Amino acid sequence: MATATAVRVSAPAPAGAPRKKRYGGLTPWLFAIPALAVYATFLVYPALTSLFFSFTNWDGLSPGYDIVGVDNYVKMTQDPVVRQALLNNLIWTVVTIVVPVIIGLALATLLNGKVRGKTALRLLFYTPCVLPLVSIASIWGWLYNPDSGVINEVLRTVGLGNLAQPWLGQDSTALWAVMVPAVWLRTGFPMLLYLAALQGIPDELYEAATVDGATKSQQFWHITMPSLRPAHYIVLALSLIDSFKVFDMIYAMTYGGPGTATQVMGTWMYANVFQYYQAGYGTAIAVVITVIAVAVSIPYVLSQTKEHT
Amino acid sequence: MSASGLAAAAALPDAVVAGQDPLARGPRPRGGIVLTIVIAVVALFWISPLLLLVTTGLRPLSDFVANGPLSWPSELTWQNFRDAWAIGKFDDTYRNSAFLLVVKVPLGVLLSAMLAFALSKLKIRFRRTIMFAVFLGLTIPIYITIVPVFIMLRSAGLTDNVLGLIGPYLAFGIPLEVLILQSFFRQIPDSIVESARIDGASEWRIFFTIVIPLSAPALITVAILDAVATWNEFLFALIILSSDTNKTIPVGLLSFQGQFSNNNTGLAAGILIAVVPILIAYALLQRWIVGGLTAGAEKG
Repeated sequence: MATATAVRVSAPAPAGAPRKKRYGGLTPWLFAIPALAVYATFLVYPALTSLFFSFTNWDGLSPGYDIVGVDNYVKMTQDPVVRQALLNNLIWTVVTIVVPVIIGLALATLLNGKVRGKTALRLLFYTPCVLPLVSIASIWGWLYNPDSGVINEVLRTVGLGNLAQPWLGQDSTALWAVMVPAVWLRTGFPMLLYLAALQGIPDELYEAATVDGATKSQQFWHITMPSLRPAHYIVLALSLIDSFKVFDMIYAMTYGGPGTATQVMGTWMYANVFQYYQAGYGTAIAVVITVIAVAVSIPYVLSQTKEHT
Repeated sequence: MSASGLAAAAALPDAVVAGQDPLARGPRPRGGIVLTIVIAVVALFWISPLLLLVTTGLRPLSDFVANGPLSWPSELTWQNFRDAWAIGKFDDTYRNSAFLLVVKVPLGVLLSAMLAFALSKLKIRFRRTIMFAVFLGLTIPIYITIVPVFIMLRSAGLTDNVLGLIGPYLAFGIPLEVLILQSFFRQIPDSIVESARIDGASEWRIFFTIVIPLSAPALITVAILDAVATWNEFLFALIILSSDTNKTIPVGLLSFQGQFSNNNTGLAAGILIAVVPILIAYALLQRWIVGGLTAGAEKG
């Protein structure tokens, strides 16, 4: 940066004088404005408009509506489905972060050992991550089919036929059944990141530890885990951001049902806007989950903004 | 969770050389046969849903019903794929998804690269504020924007039209693309840019003849991640597109699924039709995807 400034000023600045911070005038804006305009038009402006709608009783169809203040937010506190949806969001977030991270770390540790065909194996484990969520939902809906699905068939084949059940069709199992494909889909990502991070740990550390008589498990806890700290941070931050936004998988597998067993804030918002014609109430639900998601993610966003400045 | 969200990993600081596979180096391991077999078995189990999809899609329904989903097919047929292709209207959904890909991805990468250039190599006012505002977009759930976006598109006459998806798709792609690209552009030495400036090159010329060519690996990685996200996007497409001929693959697959609830082999074939292209693309391009996802993860 210092070099850049030195070249741009026409006369050398007097030694010791504070250098004025200079901006590049109009040109930088010509580069920035197209993307910023699209971003503002289709993301920022709609999000703020939703915030406004959340204070109205708009049905989503009629031309008119009244401003009802915080009524929608008060209504949410009394809505048992919202309570369930928030709980489901919480369960979803915890499970779809913790389980993939643990499996991903285990796979990465194993794949980092003396294994042949690492590239192919890595490819297989990561494959679910690139499939459309709707196709993953279709695949698992098909596997879960109570009569002809593979999962019940496997249970019958191994003599556990009495455990066969309509996994997606009953309250007690539906949420967990929808989380299984989510875990399947999300494991490849931490695996890749941990693998990359593991390869960055110098072998000498382990050699020295072995010489000092450290066991494998001591090496894992005292060398591997601390060295993975940056990877943990990234995996957790990004998983958190993603898990909060859950919609596709649940919508495509259960539409939030049976009953309200798998409702999350996203699907309950969708149902209110597009099925019950309560756009005002629906957007209030969206606002709440957005505020939570943004608040939780601010440390990550700040860390990315501060990088290199 | 979306591919785009996952891909945000590429946002890692100090992205080394995106596109270069950071996992491929090191000496070839020797031995470890037992471990290899164990992991290979786990891997096969891991992708067994896809394997079952293939064996089911290739057999007649009568065979599936008679022998159960786990049996080896006694007879192979392509008929399921022919039926599924026609009933699922894959002519249309493929065309629509491909159109979006061809228009949206290059445009999104160009706009994002321009903004990333301004943020990383030009002296722009409010730089930190812009970065914060744009990166915050990573955390915004799409569904807070759908009602206003739907109203906007309806008044512009762009509902039930893939063109209407381009704006929202661009907006939701920008945060991640800018995050990755600006961190990559930062590594281009200022001295190169400065000497071009001294030689009288305009910022546009610097951007198109120096920054863009030097960043080809990062641009390709970003384009691939963006293409996967675009191909897989569901919620906007579900709300904006209503007639069968205008749907994209994810939305088409959902309605297809409903019609085939009792035809297991046809459903399997239809799901395969929807996922095979992306699996092939992934197999061919995985070096870039992996590179983009893990760039910088080694930094301690």
